[in-house]
Amino acid sequence: MTSAIQQRGGGGGYLGRPAPSGLADVVEMILDKGLVIDAYVRVSLVGIELLTIDARIVIASVDTYLRFAEATNRLDLYEHGGKDLPDLMEGMAEGGARGKTKGALGGAKEKVSELIGGSDDDEDEQPRRRPRERARQSSSRSSSGSTRRRPRRSEDEE
Amino acid sequence: MTTAVDSWCYVFGVVPAGARLSPPGTGLSQRLRLVESGELAAVVSSPPTDRSLGRAADLIEHDRVLADLVAGGTPVLPMRFGAVLSDDHAVVEELLAVHEQEFREALDAVRDRVQYTVKARYIEDVVLREVLADNPQIEQLRRSGYADEDATLERRLGLGELIVRALEERRPADTDTLLDELGDPGEVSFRELAAPDEVLDAAFLIERRDASAFERRVAAVARKHEARLQIRLVGPSPAYDFVGSG
Repeated sequence: MTSAIQQRGGGGGYLGRPAPSGLADVVEMILDKGLVIDAYVRVSLVGIELLTIDARIVIASVDTYLRFAEATNRLDLYEHGGKDLPDLMEGMAEGGARGKTKGALGGAKEKVSELIGGSDDDEDEQPRRRPRERARQSSSRSSSGSTRRRPRRSEDEE
Repeated sequence: MTTAVDSWCYVFGVVPAGARLSPPGTGLSQRLRLVESGELAAVVSSPPTDRSLGRAADLIEHDRVLADLVAGGTPVLPMRFGAVLSDDHAVVEELLAVHEQEFREALDAVRDRVQYTVKARYIEDVVLREVLADNPQIEQLRRSGYADEDATLERRLGLGELIVRALEERRPADTDTLLDELGDPGEVSFRELAAPDEVLDAAFLIERRDASAFERRVAAVARKHEARLQIRLVGPSPAYDFVGSG
């Protein structure tokens, strides 16, 4: 059971905050918010572009629709007692079909923590430099398929 | 976009001159220091130039340095991650001096205040059952096999779209309820809701003296709605959402 409130820091500041549950929230803030001035020069920020873009992705409608349909199908299974939950989850993970390792309501922001979890290993990858404006509109995420099949590391896990 | 440089000045944020810094780290915050100009100072470092910035550790360190300052009571204008200037001189000339008035006013606005971010989203199974109960058409489609794994793509898409629409119709009332219950604790900055299940994503600028009261209030609201909403509180943090970014 998830606690209703998860808060970073315990008393004074963030030191000792639980990771990774707060990490996606932090990353979202420091990539999306904060002071921006026109004077500064971005110098060779390969990893940043990647993370920034993916943090902005809003789930594509097609993908979202399919996942919701799948979610209601799962509801049906619970109701009819076809499988119990652990079996069902295991089957989904092994099946590896698109989107099934995540709940239908998983969001783009959770993806940030997945990326972060793997980012240290991704240094050799070529950065995907997509224009930011396109990412803002974000009607397509077809090219991001590989990352979202990683196991979830989100606060919704339990 | 890529420039070869021997050194650079990574800028974490802007604080009043004389602020007390946390100890430097080994990565992003290597050679952490203040570059001062009049009453203002930039918190800067000189991380290694032989690699790109933006790894997980860099992101965490950016936040840690700023959060430590905030925890110590220092007013901070947090920069968005990735602000780099060529050297200390450029920090003064291109950042601090040209924005002096603006930064002083902005520091006054966040002085003795901290940011809390409240995020609420539906609990999946619960809200989907609500949607099915309230929308006979959707429930009928589901019972007709539109949600089955072997249903045609068109059918599954159609069902999913109806569900998303139903969620979006349901959301405003829940958002309003939460805002009412949170009261009027201070300045609010709303973020765009990115997914259909998100109900609230808003940053609040709270006076330090009211911080624990606000935390208790959020906790009470979260308990009240825990059967159908997951509510999370992030903070206290630097005022990322209140420093006038684009």
